Amino acid sequence: MITWNRACRGAQHFTLQPATNRRWLSQNSLEWLAARPIQSYISTSRDPYLNLSIEHYLLQKSAPDSTILLLYINRPSIIIGRNQNPWSEVNLALLDSARNARPETEPSGLGVVDLVRRRSGGGTVFHDEGNVNWTVICPPRTFTRDKHAEMVTRALRSCGVARAKVNERHDIVLDQGQTVADVDRANMHVTPYTHSSHPSRPLKVSGSAYKLTRQRALHHGTCLLSSPNLNVIPHYLHSPAKPYITARGVESVSSPVGNILLENEEFIAAVQKHFALMYTAGESIEALEVGDEWLENDTARKGYDELKSLDWTYLQTPQFTVSNASDIPATVDLDLTVRNGIVSAGTLARRGASETIDSRESVARPKLHEIESWPSGLQAMFPEVTNAERDRLAAWLKEVLPPSHVASSTV
Amino acid sequence: MSAAIAGSGAALAKVLQRPAQGLARCSRQRYLQLRAQRPATSAHVRGFAASTRVLQKKYTEDHEWIETSNPENAAIGISTYAAKALGDVVYVELPTVGTTVSKGDAIGAVESVKSASDIMTPVGGEILEVNNLLEEKPGTINQSPEEGGWLARIRVADVKELEGLMGEEGYKSFTEEVGEK
Repeated sequence: MITWNRACRGAQHFTLQPATNRRWLSQNSLEWLAARPIQSYISTSRDPYLNLSIEHYLLQKSAPDSTILLLYINRPSIIIGRNQNPWSEVNLALLDSARNARPETEPSGLGVVDLVRRRSGGGTVFHDEGNVNWTVICPPRTFTRDKHAEMVTRALRSCGVARAKVNERHDIVLDQGQTVADVDRANMHVTPYTHSSHPSRPLKVSGSAYKLTRQRALHHGTCLLSSPNLNVIPHYLHSPAKPYITARGVESVSSPVGNILLENEEFIAAVQKHFALMYTAGESIEALEVGDEWLENDTARKGYDELKSLDWTYLQTPQFTVSNASDIPATVDLDLTVRNGIVSAGTLARRGASETIDSRESVARPKLHEIESWPSGLQAMFPEVTNAERDRLAAWLKEVLPPSHVASSTV
Repeated sequence: MSAAIAGSGAALAKVLQRPAQGLARCSRQRYLQLRAQRPATSAHVRGFAASTRVLQKKYTEDHEWIETSNPENAAIGISTYAAKALGDVVYVELPTVGTTVSKGDAIGAVESVKSASDIMTPVGGEILEVNNLLEEKPGTINQSPEEGGWLARIRVADVKELEGLMGEEGYKSFTEEVGEK
């Protein structure tokens, strides 16, 4: 059964449908995909893997000339960019401790938090039920990096958030100035608070990331409305391994963030309204509910399984090296090269000695995220190392690069 | 690159080009100063180098190029137009040597300005070699998109596929048209 929502309705009314009805629904969803030039969807799922897979399906399969809005909310999860390094972006030990029901860490964690590598570029972002994710997919010929951030900013301003603007990084921020200047209210890049005499740094409330394919351009962002977790999020996004990692790929730029203090439903309605103002001269667009039934579609399911796989999360990491050179107590300098998520080579040098030892060829080539114990692997790579040196290095590696089975929860 | 720029119209090209434009700009006066400082022979050397090194290329509407002089081993890359539109490239994902690909398949991807963009192959064939320099120095794509920034070398499976592509003149008018739309 299709639930034809009025544009202003939220996603709170999902009920399980009998299987036959759901199949009927997906067939109609596909017809919808083919037919309408302007489409609006809202997800009833909180599963980040599913929501990103529905989004990817729409990117791949929707009519090339169509323009699409998709809104969704995820359960607590960390979403890294396509070309990022989970070991340097995320505190994997903190994620793993909740999953394995180990004693609570300090500060206390949020329970199970998913780790997801998305398909678009950009940096790492934390999702929870206090964020609404917005996605616009359009033909590349009408795409600009700012136009849909401007659309969301207009929506926010219509909800009374007068400090919202789009900055030069295509993010949405809230100006923190005190004085009120007279500015062009139609300009989404300045607010009355932009040119304060004592400006504080604007607070980021929504980032931007893009995926560009042959036929389509996707822009998405995560709008921070009322997250209860702002005080603990920095602990999740601070990796103890970062000082020891040199990585190719994309490093996150951290920004001060703030809650907008707006209800999800109000934001959803405003974005849907401003999407309609932009593309249908304000005529309301019915939003199609999407959710778990999309897993019955083979293409969507395939993308979903890929996103959930540990190989996607970890082995897609751009090449990096781990070095203990800045670890003061060490007596041996160790450099490990990790290519495609696999420990592929290394060098070792006793401090003060000029000789460098290269690792042996064709050792087991283990996947970094699967390494539970380091001593035997180190022994195989560097037979020259003494037991005492080996054990010290192994202890350091275990602390810095804990084994991670973190990707998907069974929720 | 289809990706970023596929069929892309004026709006995309203009907006995307903004960040890249400043890079190579200097004032006319400064340019003349710099030119005056060049050794007298350089103009000659440069002219010579250019005339021997310019590759015969064909282009796709998705802004990839392929060198056509030796279909047994032809370089592929993205056009200067595409490189400008992408902005600063910070990461390049290369194809795997030995892979067999069909025309239009994604053979790599680049990231620039928070955007992940696929790169498509202009023709089918086997990937013979990849430009590992791009892993270390992804910015080479911006600095020299049609020479040092080549992406891969391919053995062209069917030379007929080359015939459907645009020559340099045709591509130039194509990008001008796209820019005007």
